[in-house]
Amino acid sequence: MNNKVKNTVICITFGIFIFTFALLCLFLPKDEYSVSERRPLEKFPEVTAESIFSGKFMSDFEKYSVDSFPFRDSFRTIKAISALGIFRRGDNNGIYLHDGYISKVEYPISESSLDRAASRFKYVTEKYLDGTNKVYYSIINDKNAFMAEESGHLAFDYEAFEKEFSDRMDFAEYIKISDLLSLEDFYRTDTHWRQEAITDIAERLCSAMGTSAGSDFTENTLDVTFNGVYTGQAALPIEGDTIRYLTNGTIEKLRVFDHQNGIDSYVYDMEKAKGKDPYEMFLAGPLSLVTVENPENEDGGHLIMFRDSFSSSLAPLMAEGYSKITLIDIRYISPDILSKFVDFKNADVLFIYSTMVLNSSDTIK
Amino acid sequence: MLFSSIPFLYYFLPAVLILYFAAPKKLKNTVILLSSLFFYGWGEPKYVFLMAFSILAAYVFGIFVEKYRDRTVGKILCGVSVAVSLSFLLYFKYTDFFIDNFNRVFGTDTALLKIALPVGISFYTFQIISYTVDVYRGEPSQKNIISLAAYVTMFPQLIAGPIVRYSDIARQLSDRQHSFTKAGEGIRRFILGLGKKIIIANQLGELCDVFRASGEKSVLFYWLYAVAFALHVYFDFSGYSDMAIGLGKIFAFDFLENFNYPYISASVSEFWRRWHMSLGSWFRDYVYIPMGGNRVKPSRQLLNILVVWMLTGFWHGAAWNFIIWGLYFAVFLTVEKFWLGKYIKKSKVISHVYVLLTVLISFVIFNAPDMKTAFSDIGGLFGAGGIPLASPEALYCLADYGVLLIIGIIGATPLVKKLFVRLWDVKGVKTVLAVCEPVFLLGLLTVMTAFLVDGSFNPFLYFRF
Repeated sequence: MNNKVKNTVICITFGIFIFTFALLCLFLPKDEYSVSERRPLEKFPEVTAESIFSGKFMSDFEKYSVDSFPFRDSFRTIKAISALGIFRRGDNNGIYLHDGYISKVEYPISESSLDRAASRFKYVTEKYLDGTNKVYYSIINDKNAFMAEESGHLAFDYEAFEKEFSDRMDFAEYIKISDLLSLEDFYRTDTHWRQEAITDIAERLCSAMGTSAGSDFTENTLDVTFNGVYTGQAALPIEGDTIRYLTNGTIEKLRVFDHQNGIDSYVYDMEKAKGKDPYEMFLAGPLSLVTVENPENEDGGHLIMFRDSFSSSLAPLMAEGYSKITLIDIRYISPDILSKFVDFKNADVLFIYSTMVLNSSDTIK
Repeated sequence: MLFSSIPFLYYFLPAVLILYFAAPKKLKNTVILLSSLFFYGWGEPKYVFLMAFSILAAYVFGIFVEKYRDRTVGKILCGVSVAVSLSFLLYFKYTDFFIDNFNRVFGTDTALLKIALPVGISFYTFQIISYTVDVYRGEPSQKNIISLAAYVTMFPQLIAGPIVRYSDIARQLSDRQHSFTKAGEGIRRFILGLGKKIIIANQLGELCDVFRASGEKSVLFYWLYAVAFALHVYFDFSGYSDMAIGLGKIFAFDFLENFNYPYISASVSEFWRRWHMSLGSWFRDYVYIPMGGNRVKPSRQLLNILVVWMLTGFWHGAAWNFIIWGLYFAVFLTVEKFWLGKYIKKSKVISHVYVLLTVLISFVIFNAPDMKTAFSDIGGLFGAGGIPLASPEALYCLADYGVLLIIGIIGATPLVKKLFVRLWDVKGVKTVLAVCEPVFLLGLLTVMTAFLVDGSFNPFLYFRF
């Protein structure tokens, strides 16, 4: 093949490639939502004189062109494979894969974030609690704590993290659960723990607060493949997880109320189990304020959990020890208005958060 | 608009290629002009008018400078034209720098104007100056304003160079030959440049950002950063130059080379003959030689070198670290010229180590947000402040970016090119390589598209110039 032929072939193949994709960019129907990333995709921006002269149209169009690119997920997979396989990067956008598990590099410890989280918890304590309350806190280590050392990825010192946060939480009693966790307790493709693996954690927490957790659970398997949040972020072809959920006589009788939407809800929401994020089946997903009432427990015990999404699967296991559990996510509701909805008198109060939220606590109101 | 973006690759470029190759010969420059204005307006809609005014001024001055170039008024007109062009550059790029320094010296509190820098103004200003001066020196002025505007605005080199001189391109504006061979070479050059930018420069840029954000500095981390930034800036800028040269070839233009493996230089003066060659030769021909160049007494020559390198540094950015960066090179160039040059020639190893160390430190100064950070970063390279030799984050980054650093280091030398040239001469291998090349280029384009689709990290460093 001489130079002229070779260059002609290069021109033709390049032309076919960019013109084909140009046509696809223009005419292929666009998705509005990225299932793999669980986010709405950028729409074609509004064309106005103001948006053009301010440059907003252009910057929005650039986002739109990337979000709507044909076969976007396949290209993201090519990128992930190139980064990890060819360039031997340790992680792809902070996400890494080891031994079938996906995790995200969480590093370093953010002192300011710990300060903020602890100060917000202290604010709540001082505003609403008094001598009638017993106040506890607990820390849920993320998967990185169990994967990074072996896989050679960066991870902060979780014991140092525990100590640093504890130094700031002198107004509450610590319930340690990190010794009960192991990598197998987490979904392979998601950030969260598996409900069937945390009964011992429910027991530890309830026992420390003077009650008892549920027992004699029946394990149920959800007939849905669970592609956790890291599946989309990793963009790698990885087999999904199976969600199992626990029931017993108490759980079946629990009454759940979603105060955010003012509706009765479910311990296990089977509609959400079939949705974009099946983990949302646990107490109907990310909600600001949920109460779980246990008609079988009549001693009036009330547990208030300031929590993140990990507690959605944990709280049902702890329901046996209380008449009522109130779950509050102060990432979605201002602590200043809680007295309208919650009676704090005589309640046990548990601040229980994952290291991921504590280490980037800007979202806490 | 960045070359390394989806809008450019899959919207703008295909549209321009169709319009350009469908247009009759006499309208091709018009297509280039209009598409270049769209390209520029995409990022800087307001400043299209500024650019249009600059071009109009250059057009009018060019005609009058040509008419009166044998008389004093021609020299004055040329000077006025240069002053007008420089005044825009000074206003938009340097006003806040001067106000800030005035405030510092005199304790005043004059408010900064916070003027947005028009993209590419440093490049197109120098091109306009080169046009007027070339006309003054004897080049015919461009009577066709479309051709002149196409030269100034030409999108392949508009925002990041190379600085194309009017004299180098004047004939091509009216007469150039298109061919598959030239376009194929251009496409190859463009894709390889895109690869340098997206795959190597962007990823090493991430490492520099990780370093800057880290609170866990160590000697190893400082060196990793210094090496990563030196490679980042080289692959970023030379990648952009390759893309510009490649796009130019597609449209049948031949731009001069801008980089020639600068990191294999055996002296700092050689480094500057290989690095950003279009800028170096511009300053040589339009500043250094008019000041007297080498044909003056040593003390004046020294002054000329200092002035040219201070201006070179200042051209890169309106901050003291850029001026210091330029003067830093002036010192090494002067020392080499008058003393060190003969010694470094004696040992290849020492000369290369000397150049690499000098250049690494120079880029640490270059990339610092201020001189305090620059000194701190240089100190960090040598363990100042009692920092540890290594930290977990530095070790992780070394492993994480190790392959990319090796690819970058090898890619910054002519080793791969030499290997291909040798293989090309081996019987049978040439055919295999020729068949594989289009496949490789398409594969590379696919991977680069994947990087663009996946990531938002895509800033172009030289925009600020």
